[in-house]
Amino acid sequence: MFGQLIVSGLAVGACYALLALAMVIIYKTSEVLNFAQGEMAMISTFIAFTLLDTYQVPFPYALAITFLFAIVLAIFFEMVFLRQAKDPTVLGLIIITLGFEMVLMGFVGWKWGPDQRALPFPVSNIEAYTFYGLIISKINFWTLIVSLVLMLILFLFFRYTKLGIAMRATQQNQLAARVMGIRTKWIFSFTWAISSMVGAVAGMLIAAMGVLDPPMMMDPLLKGFASGVLGGMTSLPGAAVGGALLGVIENLFGGYVSLSFKSVVAFAIIVLMLCIKPSGLLAKHYVKKV
Amino acid sequence: MMKKNLIWVGLLVFTFFIAATASAQAVRGVTDTEILIGQWGPQTGPAAPWGAVARGTDLLVKMINDQGGIHGRKFKYFLRDDSYMPAKTKAIAKEFVEQIGVFAVVGGVGVATGMTARDYLMENKVPWGGPVTGVYEWIHPIQKYLFAVYPLYDDEAFNMTGYLHEKLGFKKIAMFYQNDDYGKQGVMGVERYLLKHKIKLVEKVSAEVTDRDLSTHALKLKNSGAEAVIMWTNPTGAALILGESAKIGFKPQWATSSTLSDSALMMQITRGLWGGMITSFFGELPDSNHPLMVKYREAHKKFAPQERWGVFYYAGIIFAEPFFEGVRRAGRNLTTESWVKAMETIKDFQGIGPPITYAGIKDRQGGKHVFYGKVRPDGSIERITDWIRITK
Amino acid sequence: MAIRGVSLEVQERQIVSILGSNGAGKTTILKTIMGLLEDQPDKGTIEFIGKRIDGKDAEDIVHLGISYVPEGREVFPELSVEENLKMGAYTRKDRKGVKEDHERVITHFPILFQRKDQWAGTLSGGEQQMLAIGRALMARPKLLMLDEPSLGLSPILVKEIFGIVKTINGEGTTILLVEQNAKMALKISDYAFVLESGRIVAANVPNVLLEDEDVKEFYLGIRSEESAKGYQRWKRKKRWR
Repeated sequence: MFGQLIVSGLAVGACYALLALAMVIIYKTSEVLNFAQGEMAMISTFIAFTLLDTYQVPFPYALAITFLFAIVLAIFFEMVFLRQAKDPTVLGLIIITLGFEMVLMGFVGWKWGPDQRALPFPVSNIEAYTFYGLIISKINFWTLIVSLVLMLILFLFFRYTKLGIAMRATQQNQLAARVMGIRTKWIFSFTWAISSMVGAVAGMLIAAMGVLDPPMMMDPLLKGFASGVLGGMTSLPGAAVGGALLGVIENLFGGYVSLSFKSVVAFAIIVLMLCIKPSGLLAKHYVKKV
Repeated sequence: MMKKNLIWVGLLVFTFFIAATASAQAVRGVTDTEILIGQWGPQTGPAAPWGAVARGTDLLVKMINDQGGIHGRKFKYFLRDDSYMPAKTKAIAKEFVEQIGVFAVVGGVGVATGMTARDYLMENKVPWGGPVTGVYEWIHPIQKYLFAVYPLYDDEAFNMTGYLHEKLGFKKIAMFYQNDDYGKQGVMGVERYLLKHKIKLVEKVSAEVTDRDLSTHALKLKNSGAEAVIMWTNPTGAALILGESAKIGFKPQWATSSTLSDSALMMQITRGLWGGMITSFFGELPDSNHPLMVKYREAHKKFAPQERWGVFYYAGIIFAEPFFEGVRRAGRNLTTESWVKAMETIKDFQGIGPPITYAGIKDRQGGKHVFYGKVRPDGSIERITDWIRITK
Repeated sequence: MAIRGVSLEVQERQIVSILGSNGAGKTTILKTIMGLLEDQPDKGTIEFIGKRIDGKDAEDIVHLGISYVPEGREVFPELSVEENLKMGAYTRKDRKGVKEDHERVITHFPILFQRKDQWAGTLSGGEQQMLAIGRALMARPKLLMLDEPSLGLSPILVKEIFGIVKTINGEGTTILLVEQNAKMALKISDYAFVLESGRIVAANVPNVLLEDEDVKEFYLGIRSEESAKGYQRWKRKKRWR
């Protein structure tokens, strides 16, 4: 049972990690906690559903169109709502994301209705692989792989590409970034676009593992946020580690301590981390010299 | 001066008199040509699939109005979205009574939501027919103006456990439920039966409504060695637990309550895992040849073709039928009291739901029967019993 | 800080200084040129090599060949020294040229090479200043604007940095320098403007400015003598204003 708990903990943790990454990417550049993240992912997943189910578009094309939609949605939101905010405070921007979340929720309810759906997905969510007595379902296995690959790509992107470095630079010092000739406004839009795409991947995986319906991202987003806090909201590897840790901790807690209180673990972790080590496990933070 | 005052007092008394006689004659929400009724139901939020019930009632209202109403009065139906949030429900109940002035409330999804409105409605003597949940809250203590329709979850679970144990011979039974009033009343029934027959419940696993990761839950159920699992949960929870169980190769006999009897929906969202499920039903099957069902399906095509003909949708008809029967029996002189009297005369009235009986002033539980069905691999339902009385 | 009626010209290949006390409007001038201020000036024009650049975005101005080293260094604290330099060449596409400039920066500031993998935030103040200048040079600017490069540095470091600025100028980069440390600035400048309360109060070659006792004492804070006449001059300045 222990091994099984770890395996399924890692699989679900991978989804948390992706959502945490999506949040961290935005938080890093603008210190905004994007509470619309879940619903942006959800609506993208509904787009994927419509393409796959209603229009029978082949999966790779559907995926591409979904990404495109996720990007357009994010840039639209960033440009039309966030950028227009007069004298924005971080809190004000966060509240704008909350408002956007509700708009999206309402829109999806109106457009697709409240019924649950099954997202057609190339990987079965029932069949499983068995490794040395451990059962890991195909969908969980591929979720892990996809998450790891995506994390690696993101890591390399932020580490080594000029654009990735410019994004970090913008986050650290906007004035200096502009002086370097970096179009910081453009960078913000781009940040939202990447984040939205990562979120869309998480949304599709979560829907493929379970059910697609409007509230499907509520719980995962909370867990993703907890993972981010656990790993440090400014650290990409932190988000990944935080997600995996949270998934495993939750499952072990549910398996050995109390299943009824399993869903409280994430809250407890948020509170605990904020009390003990608010910067998170992995965030190195430079203390400004005076 | 004195004279002037007297005129004022006279005027005041006169107005009071007029007002008093007027209110004695008029019944709130009832005019010569119209009867106002209301229902709340989640049209948005996590419980939104159940909101179809409230739209189903709308179909029945349209049908009745299309046939000229009842005793010369047509119905005006107010549907309000409470998003399954009790605070909103209470506000809606107030709006119904104080602003719109409805004659009655029909249906209404949810226990916690309905409970915030129950006492308020009863104090204001607002008739309430057919809350869309089968819990004791509606009938204990007896509320004069509240007539329940939905068979009790507790009795339903009790009886279903008996069916699994006695008819199908399962010894190791486990329970999976949603951690709220609905789920707990299911557990109550299952445990009551097992205790009576001195059998141990091998495992009892609960999940929160919002939980999206039920892998640990499935693992616990598997490790219990259960042969049959009864579940009392919402559609999402059911789909998730079936999926997770299938992933780890756990294949017990599943059984569930009538709230999940929309097998077309369940089949689709579980990607076929719903096959083999034993479900209780409180209403005719969607493709039933029952003459009323045929009639309702035609009305559905005519008035609301955009809606899916699912169980939740036409359940909105089932819960409202007895209310309209009461209005019919009360005659042209419709008042709150005459409606209550009329409701109390209902015996073995059957629409497309269970036979409804209100046995006098001590009985407000109308639906006392369910029947069982087994889901075929293609998603259609094989009816395996006739209506079974579950509430003694 | 508002600036009014400021008219200044920087000749190619020169080092031009803007001097003046705190709050005189020196930084505002640089930021205006750079297009960093939200509200561009209502009146007047800014021209660079014959092209009007007022109203343009900072991003475009960098591309035209103006680099700006902001006051307080403003390095990217959590990027490595190397990455900071890389950002300096953000707008450039010519890899070969970037490589040349990188080498040039390293020759001027060998310390940056030694620290290349360190976070810029962990550098000392002087090293950060060198990094800031090096980063600006990576854009291969025609005009390099330095805002208070001596701020918070020890006299030896200030001397070193000004020396390097002079060398850079010698290699053909025009320099516009904003300084409070007038003495140092005048030593390397070809021309200087003295700014007070948003107005230019004096402009000339360093030698002339240094001969004007009033300018020297009241605007440049350079005292040549322990003077008893100081009080009188103070009054005179008051009147003059």
